[in-house]
Amino acid sequence: VSWRTPMSVVAVATLAVLTGCSTGGAGPTGTGTTSLVADLGGYPATFDPGLQYDTDSYSVYRNIYDQLLHRDAKTNEVVPWLATEWKQTAPTTWTFAIRDNVKFSDGAPLTADDVAFSIRRILDPKFASQQNSNFSAIASVAAQGQTLTIKTKAPSPTLLSFLTTLSVVPKAYLEKVGNEAFNQKPIGSGPYAVASTIAGAEVVLKRNDSWWGKAPAIQTVTFRAVPEVASRIADLQSGKAQIATALTPDSAQQIKGNSSLQVLSTPTERVAYLAFNTINGGATNDPAVRKAISLGIDYQSLIDGLQNGYAKPVNSVLTPLATGYPKSLPNYTYKQAEAKALVQQSGKAGQTVVMATSPAFSSQIVQAIQANLQAIGLKVKIQNYDQAAYLKKVQSPDHSWGAVRFGQWSCSCLDADGVAYPLFHTGSIWSSYTNPKFDTLVEKARNTIDAAQRDQLYEQAYRILNTDLPGIGLFQIETIYGASSKLQWKPDAQQSFFVADMSLSS
Amino acid sequence: MTSVVAPGAPSIRSSRRHGGALLQFLRYVAVQVGQAAVALLGVTTAVFFALRLSGDPARLLASENATAVDIENLRRQLGLDQPVWRQYLDYLGGLLHGDLGFSYVQHQPVLTLIGQRMPYTINLAVAALVLTAVFGISVGFIMALSRGGWAERVLMPLVVVGQAMPVFWVGILLVLFFSVTLQLLPSTGSGGLISLVLPAITLASHSTATVARVTRGAVLEQLSRDYVRTARSKGVGTFRLVWRHLLRNVSIPIVTLLALEVANLLGGAVITELIFAWPGIGQLTEQSLTARDFPVVQGIVILSAAIYIAVNLLADIIYGVIDPRTTVSEKGATG
Repeated sequence: VSWRTPMSVVAVATLAVLTGCSTGGAGPTGTGTTSLVADLGGYPATFDPGLQYDTDSYSVYRNIYDQLLHRDAKTNEVVPWLATEWKQTAPTTWTFAIRDNVKFSDGAPLTADDVAFSIRRILDPKFASQQNSNFSAIASVAAQGQTLTIKTKAPSPTLLSFLTTLSVVPKAYLEKVGNEAFNQKPIGSGPYAVASTIAGAEVVLKRNDSWWGKAPAIQTVTFRAVPEVASRIADLQSGKAQIATALTPDSAQQIKGNSSLQVLSTPTERVAYLAFNTINGGATNDPAVRKAISLGIDYQSLIDGLQNGYAKPVNSVLTPLATGYPKSLPNYTYKQAEAKALVQQSGKAGQTVVMATSPAFSSQIVQAIQANLQAIGLKVKIQNYDQAAYLKKVQSPDHSWGAVRFGQWSCSCLDADGVAYPLFHTGSIWSSYTNPKFDTLVEKARNTIDAAQRDQLYEQAYRILNTDLPGIGLFQIETIYGASSKLQWKPDAQQSFFVADMSLSS
Repeated sequence: MTSVVAPGAPSIRSSRRHGGALLQFLRYVAVQVGQAAVALLGVTTAVFFALRLSGDPARLLASENATAVDIENLRRQLGLDQPVWRQYLDYLGGLLHGDLGFSYVQHQPVLTLIGQRMPYTINLAVAALVLTAVFGISVGFIMALSRGGWAERVLMPLVVVGQAMPVFWVGILLVLFFSVTLQLLPSTGSGGLISLVLPAITLASHSTATVARVTRGAVLEQLSRDYVRTARSKGVGTFRLVWRHLLRNVSIPIVTLLALEVANLLGGAVITELIFAWPGIGQLTEQSLTARDFPVVQGIVILSAAIYIAVNLLADIIYGVIDPRTTVSEKGATG
């Protein structure tokens, strides 16, 4: 809803002005060393990990279930979790050995059959899982004892990546109670189990003492749904919460001055980008105009001024965390005079370009880009839709959404395939661009297993993108948490919120 | 015959017609309920079609990697591939059986979701309404009775400020002062009576100011009437004057206003609930609207409309109780 944005800005600004005089006495009072209160932006939509995977649901339920694989928090390498080892036995066949002696919190043992069931239900069209497309490379799954075999439709280099997001559910319990009851009363094998819930307000998880891993330090964690970022900050300042997620760069500034609080941030795989309509965009159909825009953006100001440094430069519509990031390409540069000259030469000076956006995107950044483009001689009309209408417009097959749009992209797969393909491949719902050479390269890369060969293919593909410029990367976004200074935890690139990795000092 | 009946005296006309009163009342209620049903059908139809013009829930639900085929499949599973008129008839059919549908996003029956959240919104609205009535009416009286005095000079700016300040601004200031600085009251949450204090004050701030202003105007108007002068000349004290005479005579505009404010309190609850992380209908509305969770939004709108209509119906009946001159037959005839 559009009033949310201005409201949050004013609220945060008020906090900024008024907390200057109140930081002295304010500080977390602490609720003991083994219980943690975490403020999320919203209440989890579901506890069923086969359905939603929005950040709030994900932050909660990933603590209740075990995932098939994990990523190392430091190196981002895929590491064992429920699967202790795995092998690719043929180009399209993978086998996984499932950890022994893992039990669901109702006492039932976790077997390969539960893993197979967890995948099959996501693939079942009737279940209408939001995550269906993440696993759609899978042709079939088979389980035998503690061995799981996955066959893919074609060789799939991103299979393991998506399996790090697979939370395993108990087949027997689910078949007994049904999807709806399971969502109400979820049972998993993870380090925590649901103790109580107040719909829309809070979820209390208790440590699962029969968990197979190293016993977590935190015994009880209460996730609270606090939609307003200013309220989450107030909760930190008054000691009601020990950690708050999804802070904005502005709001992070406010807890920096408070000695009992800390800001935790880390670069994520989410890339901020501009996409151009190269098919039906008016002025942006002209590659010279797109080139001019790529030179006319003051990248560093966006990072320093608007993201308050919570961002990193990129050289493409991808982040350096992703497999296939074209390391050899130069970063984008800001050359306003050159950009201006290009616009003049193209004969498009003074033409109006329509910039489509929604309240999901920072209006400050959108306006900064507008100012950048106007400075090089284009007129920019910002067309603000709400998110649902925005998607309808941008994804409509007639490409009538305007000329430029700002976006933020994450495929939750740390792979170039999850960005280049849906954003720029001919006919993808987000793409207003077509180049058969680029299409061939990304199609080939998506079915190539060899990492070095894939890197090469993506380097060529991104080289084409940086010439044709159907889009430009603006920066890599950092995720920002506010926390009590007593909390010990390092956030990771996947925005995993594993409470088992956290501890509180007294 | 203009009725210059002394306030408080029973109306001769209405007692004479006592026999037909019940029948008249029943006819009145039947007409009102009929009107309410038509209004509800109108609301249902409007919200149903307006939502379907506003965007596609399947696109919002789909992951970023989704293809057009994935989105089409989601749409089919949600029943959104059916012609709109068909969806509409199905929905009406469900409504007749008391079935409000199933949430696209939260995968629960809409009635369950609303049922979980309703008590919070009702608690908040009732608390705010009580604050509004008590403070709004007393401040209004104080300002009117001390016209030109220091009390009015202190209170009037507060009333103006209360009406001018946006709810979220009031809320955030209260949190900063009482939670962050003084650490007296919880900044957010819904645990117990203590956490109701700040949200209720925030929500009531605007309505209280409105009620105070209207009460002041109504009382001032009454103060210039003959009966007040008579009462005063007979030596009736201020307290007795207010209690016995003024209160009843200014109550019609106040009750009307309070009934209207119920709608404002329910509407303003969206913002208040967001600031204080209060898990009521307001938050559910915001979430569901943003996600285009059609069944939930429809359920909330229909239910809110029903409440609004019921409250106004109740206000109409209260008029008759407060002031017997406003008999139901007159009300029924005039609207």
